[in-house]
Amino acid sequence: MTNFSWIDGSIVGLYIVATMIAGIAVRKYVGKVEHFLIAGREMNLYLGIASLAATEFGIVTCMYTSQNGYRNGFAGATPGILAMLAMFFVGYTGFCVKPLRDAGVITIPELFEKRYGPRIRWAAGVVIVLGGLLNMGVFLRTGGDFLVAVCGFDPKYLEITMTALLVFVAIYTVLGGMLSVLVTDFLQFVVMSGGLLAVTILILVNVGWTDLVAAVQKNYGAGGFNPLVKPDMGWKYIADNALLSLAMVLTWQTTIQRLLAAKDTKTGCQVYTRTSVFFLCRWLIPVLWGIAALAVLDPAEIGDNTLLAMPTMLSRLTPVGLMGILVAAMLAADMSTDASYMLTWSSVIYNDILAPFHKNQWSEKRGLIVSRSLVAIIGVFLLVYGLWYPLQGSLWDYLRVTGNIYLSSMSVLLVACCYWKRANSWGAAGAIICGAVIPTAFLVMEQLPSTRHFAKEVVGPEYSNIGTYIVVTAAMVIGSLLKPQTKPVAAKGY
Amino acid sequence: MFEHWFWLLATSVCVLWYSTITVYVAIRGAMDIKSMLRRLAGNGEEEQE
Repeated sequence: MTNFSWIDGSIVGLYIVATMIAGIAVRKYVGKVEHFLIAGREMNLYLGIASLAATEFGIVTCMYTSQNGYRNGFAGATPGILAMLAMFFVGYTGFCVKPLRDAGVITIPELFEKRYGPRIRWAAGVVIVLGGLLNMGVFLRTGGDFLVAVCGFDPKYLEITMTALLVFVAIYTVLGGMLSVLVTDFLQFVVMSGGLLAVTILILVNVGWTDLVAAVQKNYGAGGFNPLVKPDMGWKYIADNALLSLAMVLTWQTTIQRLLAAKDTKTGCQVYTRTSVFFLCRWLIPVLWGIAALAVLDPAEIGDNTLLAMPTMLSRLTPVGLMGILVAAMLAADMSTDASYMLTWSSVIYNDILAPFHKNQWSEKRGLIVSRSLVAIIGVFLLVYGLWYPLQGSLWDYLRVTGNIYLSSMSVLLVACCYWKRANSWGAAGAIICGAVIPTAFLVMEQLPSTRHFAKEVVGPEYSNIGTYIVVTAAMVIGSLLKPQTKPVAAKGY
Repeated sequence: MFEHWFWLLATSVCVLWYSTITVYVAIRGAMDIKSMLRRLAGNGEEEQE
């Protein structure tokens, strides 16, 4: 039986129509590839904050963070604290992001070409797209699972619902690029924030803080409040997430695209510092929802599929009207994320992977046609991959491992590019290869029955990720030192 | 017990943040969109001339 009334449907319908109109209306301002990919570098501070906050919170974010809350209690919000600290540190000091924005590039690989050469730029583009698309591949199904569970829809409508949603998003992203993304992100930020706040207050009123704390205490003891004393977390979990947070802040393409779209370096850094608290909110609020599921639901009815605990809880607590606001808020979150991610990977494909073909000599019209086509192709990929990939284990673990395919190598390349004069193409090539091979091997081993136990229980995602960063850094240092120095390196960092 | 208070404080900050700062960001963000589109329109006209 569905929990979704005509009132809820009207709220959601109104929101989708408003978003489509706003997204399509700004297409007339897109006259160049630079407008399409980075909004002509005209983004101001508050639009940047709203856009980044909306992009970095999708249904998938809500699902993996609430799953973390259900499985780990308040300690599950630890990555949010680390992400907030990383955002603030990087924005405040300008570590790497200042030289990156000052360089006036459109993507990170474009900066790499200045130091490491065109081949490394191309290879960097490939791993960024590979890691990013694998990461994004599960977004659609996860979003569909949420909607089916929370609204009580028949699961057979999951594919058609998510396909329709993706088509809506693709239409305005293909037409307006970054400009449409920024404007719709803004609308989505407003709707999403209202929905998140309303549902959180509903939970605090209906379940109560005391019961939330009691549920964590009962299920996880002290470990539910402190990751250091939780047996399956500890220092390795914190170290892994700290590295991931810093690498994500420095090189995650959707975040970087806001930095590069900012009107100047100072604005870009301010977007970082002032969005930092949102990075705590995007973890802690859904973690609270996951804990509410722990307090309200019988563990037997959830079973192993802890990903669905939070939406199941919401389907019971949320009244008519608020359900519409909740679904609109979650669709807002998902649409902003999908649009930004489709655009950001297409920008890397166009700017870096296709660089040897267009050599910056294509006309603006041709460049726009290719960029728009790439967004559409990524949409099709999402649809196909999202429907067949069987997710094993924790969603957050999957996202960490796939993200690390490029986060580890790109962050090491970026730091070395900006601050180490000896860094060169040999070290960069070694870092990219190691950074791609280790997480990919872990993913494959996790899928194969013969190696699944070894990958999941003996190694685990934490040691796989920490090991990747260590090996990648070693590859960069050793490779750079091995290459004979043929000419004096540039005085500047990049 | 310290941990309980820590999470209560962090949750309060998040709820307070969403109920106040987002309103301010929304208002200023709307102004940013207007000025961004105005500048882009101006740039387009200059290029046509």
